[in-house]
Amino acid sequence: MPTIDVSLNDISKLLGRKIDADDLDDLVLFAKGELDGVDGDTVKLDMKDTNRPDLWSTEGIVRQLRGNLGIAGGMPSYEVIDSDIEVYADPELRSVRPYCLNTVIKGLDIDEAFLSQIIQLQEKIALTFGRKRKEVAVGIIDFDKISPPIYYKATKPGENAFVPLTFSKEMTPAEILREHPKGQEYGHLIEGAEVYPLLVDSRGVVLTMPPIINSEITGKVSTETKNIFIDITGYDIEYMKVALNVIVTAFAERGGKVYGVTVNYEDRKLRVPDLTPVEYTFSKGSVLDILGIDADDDALIDHLGRMRYDASINGDEVSVRYLPYRKDIMHPYDVLEDIAISFGYNDIEPEIPRLYTIGRMEPISIRLRQVRELAVGMGFQEVLTFTLSNEDNLYKKMNISRPGKVVEIENPVSQSWSVLRDWLTPSLLSFLSRNTHNDYPQNIFEVSEVVTEDGGNETKVDNRYRFAMAMCNSNANYTGIRECLDSFLCNIGKDASIVPLEHGSFIEGRAGKILIDGEESGIIGEIHPQVLENWGMENPIAVAELEIERLLK
Amino acid sequence: MVDNSDIDLTNDEKKLVLKLLNVDGKATVNEISDADFNQVAVNRAAMGLSSKGLLDIEDSSEKYLVPTGPGKDLIESVPERVVARKVLDAGSTEAYVDEMDIDKATAGIALGWLRKRGWASMDKTEGRLKITLTDLCIREVEGESWISSCLKEMLERDYPMSDLTEERFQMLKGRKAIDVREEKKRVLTLTPTGASVPEDSLILKEEVTQLTPEMLRNGAWRTLDIKRFDVSVPVRRVYFGKKQPYLAFLDELKSEFVALGFQEMRGPMIETEFWNFDALFQPQNHPARDWTDTYRLISPKKGTLPTSETVDRVRSSHETNWKYVWDDEKAKNLMPRAHGTCLSARQLYKGVSSPGKYFSIARCFRPDVLDKTHLIEFNQIEGIICDTSLTFRSLLGVLKLFATEIAGAEKVRFYPDYYPFTEPSVQMSAKHPDLGWVEFGGAGIFRKELTQPLGVDTPVIAWGLGVDRLAMFKLGIDDIRFLFSEDIKWLRDEVMV
Repeated sequence: MPTIDVSLNDISKLLGRKIDADDLDDLVLFAKGELDGVDGDTVKLDMKDTNRPDLWSTEGIVRQLRGNLGIAGGMPSYEVIDSDIEVYADPELRSVRPYCLNTVIKGLDIDEAFLSQIIQLQEKIALTFGRKRKEVAVGIIDFDKISPPIYYKATKPGENAFVPLTFSKEMTPAEILREHPKGQEYGHLIEGAEVYPLLVDSRGVVLTMPPIINSEITGKVSTETKNIFIDITGYDIEYMKVALNVIVTAFAERGGKVYGVTVNYEDRKLRVPDLTPVEYTFSKGSVLDILGIDADDDALIDHLGRMRYDASINGDEVSVRYLPYRKDIMHPYDVLEDIAISFGYNDIEPEIPRLYTIGRMEPISIRLRQVRELAVGMGFQEVLTFTLSNEDNLYKKMNISRPGKVVEIENPVSQSWSVLRDWLTPSLLSFLSRNTHNDYPQNIFEVSEVVTEDGGNETKVDNRYRFAMAMCNSNANYTGIRECLDSFLCNIGKDASIVPLEHGSFIEGRAGKILIDGEESGIIGEIHPQVLENWGMENPIAVAELEIERLLK
Repeated sequence: MVDNSDIDLTNDEKKLVLKLLNVDGKATVNEISDADFNQVAVNRAAMGLSSKGLLDIEDSSEKYLVPTGPGKDLIESVPERVVARKVLDAGSTEAYVDEMDIDKATAGIALGWLRKRGWASMDKTEGRLKITLTDLCIREVEGESWISSCLKEMLERDYPMSDLTEERFQMLKGRKAIDVREEKKRVLTLTPTGASVPEDSLILKEEVTQLTPEMLRNGAWRTLDIKRFDVSVPVRRVYFGKKQPYLAFLDELKSEFVALGFQEMRGPMIETEFWNFDALFQPQNHPARDWTDTYRLISPKKGTLPTSETVDRVRSSHETNWKYVWDDEKAKNLMPRAHGTCLSARQLYKGVSSPGKYFSIARCFRPDVLDKTHLIEFNQIEGIICDTSLTFRSLLGVLKLFATEIAGAEKVRFYPDYYPFTEPSVQMSAKHPDLGWVEFGGAGIFRKELTQPLGVDTPVIAWGLGVDRLAMFKLGIDDIRFLFSEDIKWLRDEVMV
C-alpha cells in the first residue's frame, strides 16, 4: 500500500554494490514491492504488504536484500544497551492517549539520504500502520536538546505553551489545535478531552505534543543531529511495540547505538525496545504440501536464512526465529510465502490444476441473456447505466414524490450518486437527454438491477433485474411501445392485461399497469410533457418497464 | 444490312440515338447534353451503344483561348495604339511624353509596349522623355488593331489555340490578356448500324423507379423500364438493435469461464460488513473499513448475521489472531459491496464441492470520483477453486491459464503481492504484443483463519481479474467511462465482430 521514494546511490552504498533501476526492479520483489517510477537517482516503490512496515524504508529493504543477495543471512541481531533513562507516564492520560514507548539512539551520522528516509518512514508508519496517527503517532526528538528523565504528562489545554514546529511564537496546546495545520488535521484525536498529552523533560522543556506536533526547539532532526529520542504514542502497547521496533532497527541498520529505556506506568514498568526474537514452530509437511515443490531440509534452511529467519529442522518440525518488527506471521503459510518469494515466483513451475468440474451459468443469467437478445431483435439499442443515482433524477424530475423507503448512502462522494435506484426508467431518460444531438429514432433498452428495501431479507435490501425499453422519436406513442411489449411477452410465453394507471411521470390516460398472472409486473406509457421538459427533451418518449427477474423465475 | 429487329436498348440509349439522328449522326457530348439528359447519362448511354457496335466514341482535347479580365480591357483600347494615334493625329512622328494628354497608368503601359513592339524609340533629352515613332508603327497603326479584334473574336466563338500564330500567342500571353482552357471533347458518331436502327426499336419505354406488386400481378413489368441506379452511391445510415459492447464482452467472458468448468455465483449487492470484511478475515479496525474507503447506508442500517455457530467461529478467529474484541453490531452494518470476494465467502458457507470451480461477475461500489480511470461502480470478476490437490504451483498455473485462455497472452510474469485474505498471494502481468507488460490479475490461497470458520478444510484458491482493463483494451478505449457510455453515437458505431 504505501509508496516510498528511495535513492539508488543510497541503496548501493548500504549494500556495498552498484544497484541501478533495473536491478532494483527485480530485487524489490523480494521485499514484496514493485517499481513504480524512476526519476534519476530517485525510485518510487509501491510496497504492497500493509502488514510489513519493516519494509517501508531503505534500511528495511536493504536488510531484506542482504539476505537474498547472500551478503548476510539468518535473523539479524541488534544490540540494545541498557541505559538508566527513565520515562514517566501520567495516569491522567489513561482515558486520552494512555501509552508512550521510547528509545534513545546515539552516534548517528545522518546524510541527506538517511534524513529523507527518517522523515518518510515516520510519516508512513504514522499514516498507514498507525491509522492516520490514531493507533501510532511517531515523534523524533534531538536528544542533545533534552534532559532526562522524560515525563509523558497531562496538560490543561491552556497551559504549557511552546513553540511548535515551523512556527516562531509560543502557543498553548489549545491554540495549536486551532491554528496550527497539524493541529487542525489531527486535533480530533484528542479534542474534547480535559487534558492533552505532552512530553516534557526534567526542566519542563517541551519535546512534543503527541499526536499533533513536535517542538520547534527540541523536535527537529537534521544532518547535524547525532543522538535522538524516539517517542511512540497510542492505545495498544503490542501494536506500538512493532512500530517502535521497525524504527529502532532502521536506525540500528545505519550504525546507531540503541539505548533501552524504562517507561514507568502506574501499574508496571516496561523496558523498551524489546527485540526478543519470536519463536515459531510448524509442521514441515503442511508447508511443503502447499508449496508443491520438492525441497530438502538444506534448501529450506537456506531460503529461510535468506528471508532473515534463523531456522532449524528436526524431522517434520520446523523451528524459526525472527525479530518482532514482524507481526504478520500468524500461520505457517505466512512463512511459506517467504520461502516461495526466496525461491522466486518466476522460478517455480506453474501447474495447471487438472480438475473435472462442470461449468454452468445461473439459470436466471441465461434467461436474462435471452431477454436481451429478444430486445436487440426488436431493434432496440442496449445501454448500460449506473445503479447509483440521486433524488432529483429518480423522483423530482420524474414528477413523483420520493417514496417512504429509499436506499440511500450516508457518505456519498457526490450528491449525484447518493441514492440506489429503485426503477430503471429515469436512467433511460437520462441517457436520452444526453443524445438530443444524435439521429432519431432512438430506441433503447436496459436489463439491469434496481434496489429496494425488503425487511424480510437477510440484508434488508433486495436487488432484482428489471427490463425497460424506451422509444424516442417525433411520433413516439403508447401504441408503438405496446406493440413491442406484447411481442416481447409472446416470446417469453406470458400474457398480460393492462389496466389504467395514474402516475405523475406519464400522460394521464396514456399509462398502464402491466398485470401478469394477476400480479403487478410493470408499467407502460407515454412520458408526461412536464417530465420531458424537466429532462430537456423535445421528442416524445414512450416507456415500458418490467419486473423481469420475477417473471422469469 | 444487319437485322436490327431484336436490338434491346435502354431508354437513355434510345434517347441518344434519336438526338444524334437529328444532327446527322454526329455531335459532342456537350452539344447533346441538357437539363433533362445530363452528361453522366449521355456518357453512360454512349458506352452502352458503343458496346453494341452502334456508336463510335472519339475523345480528343482541344485547347481554347479566352480573354482574361485585362484582356477584355484591351478590346476597348490598346494603350500603345492610343499613344501612337495621339502623336500621329497631332501631325508628327515624335512627341514629348510630358506634353501628351494621357494618364500616367496608360502612359506607363504604352511606353513599355511601344518599345517592345518596335513601334518607337525613346531618348531623354534635357531630362525630358521623347518618343519617336518608327515606320513599322506608322504602318501597323494604319491597319486595324489585330489585338482587339482577336480578343473580341475569342468572346464570340470557341477560339482554338491553333487559330493563332505562335508569335501573336506569345504576345497576348505576355500581356496576360488570354487564358488557355483545355476542353476535352468527346465526339459521338453513329455507326452505319447505329444509324439504321429500326424505328420500333427506338420507342421509349415508360420508366419506373420502383417495381410494385401490381406490376408483377398484371405483367406490366414486361413493357416497363426500371430506372437504372448508380449502385455505387452511398445511402443513409440506419440503426438497428444491438448489444452494448461492454456487456457483449462480458457475455463472451462468462461463456469462457463456463467452458473452463466454472459455476456462476450470485449474491446480494448490498452486503453486511460481516460478509464483506469479517468473513474474509479483515479486522474491524483495518483502514479499508474507514469512513473514507467504504460506503455506508442511511437506511436500512443493519442486516442479519448467519448462524451463531459460524459467527462465533469468525469472532474467535479474529480475536485469537488479530487480538482485539470483535463487535457483532459492527458486523451487521449494511454497505454496498466493495468487492466480489463476498460471493466467494458466501459460497464457502453455502458449501463447495471438491473439486469445485466458481466464478462471479459482480457489480461493486467504492467511494471514488468519476474520471478517466475511475468509475463510481464497476464490475469485478472473482472466484474460487477448491481441491485437496491445490498448491502454490496451482496458484501460478491458474493465473497462467486465464492469461492464455482469456487474454491470449503468451508470456506471463509473477510478483509477490499482499491481500488480507490470502497467503501466499501472487500478482500476474501478461505480455501484450502492443502494450507490453500489463497487470492482469491476482490470486492467493485463502487463509485457513478464513476458510475454517466457514466450515471448509480443503485448500481454496481465490482469484480475481481486472476485467475493466481487459474490456477497455478489447474495445479500444482509454477512458473507462466509455464502459457505461452515454453516447448513443459511440454505441452505434462500435464494431462488434
